[in-house]
Amino acid sequence: MGEDEARGWIRSDETAKQMLCRVLKDRAFLLLPPLHRVPLRAGNVVEITGASPSAKTQILIQAAISCILPKTWNGIHYGGLGKLVLFLDLDCRFDVLRLSQMLKHRLLQANRLGNGAWWQLEESNVNNCRFEQDKSKTVFDEELYVSCMTRFLYVRCYDSLELLSTLKTLHYRIRQQEACGSQVGVLMIDSIGAFHWTDRLSSSLALEKHNRKSLSLTNVVETIVQELKKLLQVHSLVVLATKATIYEEKYSTNENNRKFSSNDELSGNASSKAQQPPIREFMPSSWQAFVTHKIIIRKSANYQSTQQSLSAYSLEWLQPQLSSIDRFIVDDSGIVIVS
Amino acid sequence: MAPLKHLEKENPIIDASFRDFCASHGILTVEDFLVHDLYELAAFAQRHTNADRLKEGITLMLSFIELQCRPWLNGMELLDEMQRNKHILSTGDKGTDSLLQGGFREGQLTELVGPSSSGKTQFCLQAAASVAENHLGRVLYLDTGNSFSARRIAQFICSSSDPALGQKVMIRISCHAVYDIYTMFETLQGLEVTLRSQVRRNVNEDRLRLLVVDSVSSLITPILGGSGSQGRALMVAVGYLLKKLAHEHSIAILVTNHTVGAGGEGGKTKPALGETWKSIPHVRLMLSRDHKNSNCNISILKHTFMPSGQAVRTMTRKDNQQCI
Repeated sequence: MGEDEARGWIRSDETAKQMLCRVLKDRAFLLLPPLHRVPLRAGNVVEITGASPSAKTQILIQAAISCILPKTWNGIHYGGLGKLVLFLDLDCRFDVLRLSQMLKHRLLQANRLGNGAWWQLEESNVNNCRFEQDKSKTVFDEELYVSCMTRFLYVRCYDSLELLSTLKTLHYRIRQQEACGSQVGVLMIDSIGAFHWTDRLSSSLALEKHNRKSLSLTNVVETIVQELKKLLQVHSLVVLATKATIYEEKYSTNENNRKFSSNDELSGNASSKAQQPPIREFMPSSWQAFVTHKIIIRKSANYQSTQQSLSAYSLEWLQPQLSSIDRFIVDDSGIVIVS
Repeated sequence: MAPLKHLEKENPIIDASFRDFCASHGILTVEDFLVHDLYELAAFAQRHTNADRLKEGITLMLSFIELQCRPWLNGMELLDEMQRNKHILSTGDKGTDSLLQGGFREGQLTELVGPSSSGKTQFCLQAAASVAENHLGRVLYLDTGNSFSARRIAQFICSSSDPALGQKVMIRISCHAVYDIYTMFETLQGLEVTLRSQVRRNVNEDRLRLLVVDSVSSLITPILGGSGSQGRALMVAVGYLLKKLAHEHSIAILVTNHTVGAGGEGGKTKPALGETWKSIPHVRLMLSRDHKNSNCNISILKHTFMPSGQAVRTMTRKDNQQCI
């Protein structure tokens, strides 16, 4: 930045009204459980770590729905943000049917709360959701459904080059959208370590001569962080990134659970937490320094419901460090906190 | 990606002076631009006498980068694309079809995990027969362990009583022997080229709908091990190549993965391809066989829209056919 620019920037104070507008626009918001413990505000970068499968994409989808739903529509309260979601799929496993199914579920739920008469129709409708039958039209607002779905923007990347190209041009994409009057709320990356091994290999093949920057792992991740930082400076959005563990934990999870149950009565929550083996960090330090919030998901003992045993997961906030651990299961309606 | 000088013919702005400027920053190809901060480059360009021309060149580079990007699709477009192109294919087995709410989805990679003789190959052969017969699709079977059996497939074909029809079905199934990862890459890349040319010629009759790799783990395990990243990089590359083929050409892909004992710890077994592989398949199914009554259990380890571990069905697969 030139000296003149810097001076100009210092001089241009905002009025109290402008500041209030800015602050109110970027107000912190709470997402649905299991991300409900910490309010997030624009500029935050949340990293969700967990082995596959641990419902990471499911959490993203749920957060996406909260973002694309409007606050209110036709007098019914939906409690969403009414903003766009950008979903960068590096795992290439996103299933739009799941998004559609969950969105319909949320719409029905809100309708049921808003209007007592709907609940009778609901049961049959949910079963038909998956197959997109016309019957469902009678129960929720199709127009609202379409407007929510179009607020969800998706792109997939098969390698780091595609990811970098997409990030380089993202600023213009967002500006185009903003010109049309819609604001981006959340940028999602699923999952950030997807190209770790292939990038590591290209580090060893690098032609680092004539000051040529190679596409090595550190360079790629540094560029990703740099591009994201530039985006966050200009646009007010939250970054939600998942990270699949690529190394196996030292102890099998089952063994851990056994240790838990025997020790729980004696030592309570705090010491059992210490027994969890630490997840081996593999992202370069530039990424680690960029992340502002860290969440870790572990598999926990199965949850016994009335009919069957479902896999349950425990979610813990590492940064900011919170003492509470949420245990949740995933069913057709999404994530359900069980304890 | 091409070196910059190859672009000059069509874009006179990329002349020798622009290339010199780029080379002084270590940029020789369009690819190299990706790891550079374009704002910073523009700031450097500002210092040169021909700043405007250099900046114009940088903007042009950005438009090249933009051309390479995949388009952003919104939720409705995704849904529409899926309903038009990604059909559900029957696995040939009623129990499994109802477990998976219809069968495999085109565009997805389904993985079968199971110990040896748990019925993985049988499952693959049955699926091949079903897709060739019921969906009139071509099937490509990549066989890594000489376990492909045309006779067994013929048994699974329901119309085998009519030899002419049965033959038509059998013709749709082709089998390739692949014994190492490098041949695998060659085969898949060759397939990609063929499919792309078919798209250009608009061939839609008898298109490839199912690709079976039995077993993918026997190709990958030999290159894993050690601390080097090369083996894992190849594994991830094969995974992404498969996913790309599946999605771009609407093919259902079925791969098998054997299990290994977990180092003698309580005799527990786990899939041979570990943590890194887990993020490749869309759907993971676990097969296990009860040897007393030859029942086969299939359970969901992972699914894109069904909770994992939820549904477990048993089924009996007898030698005679189970027609749907």
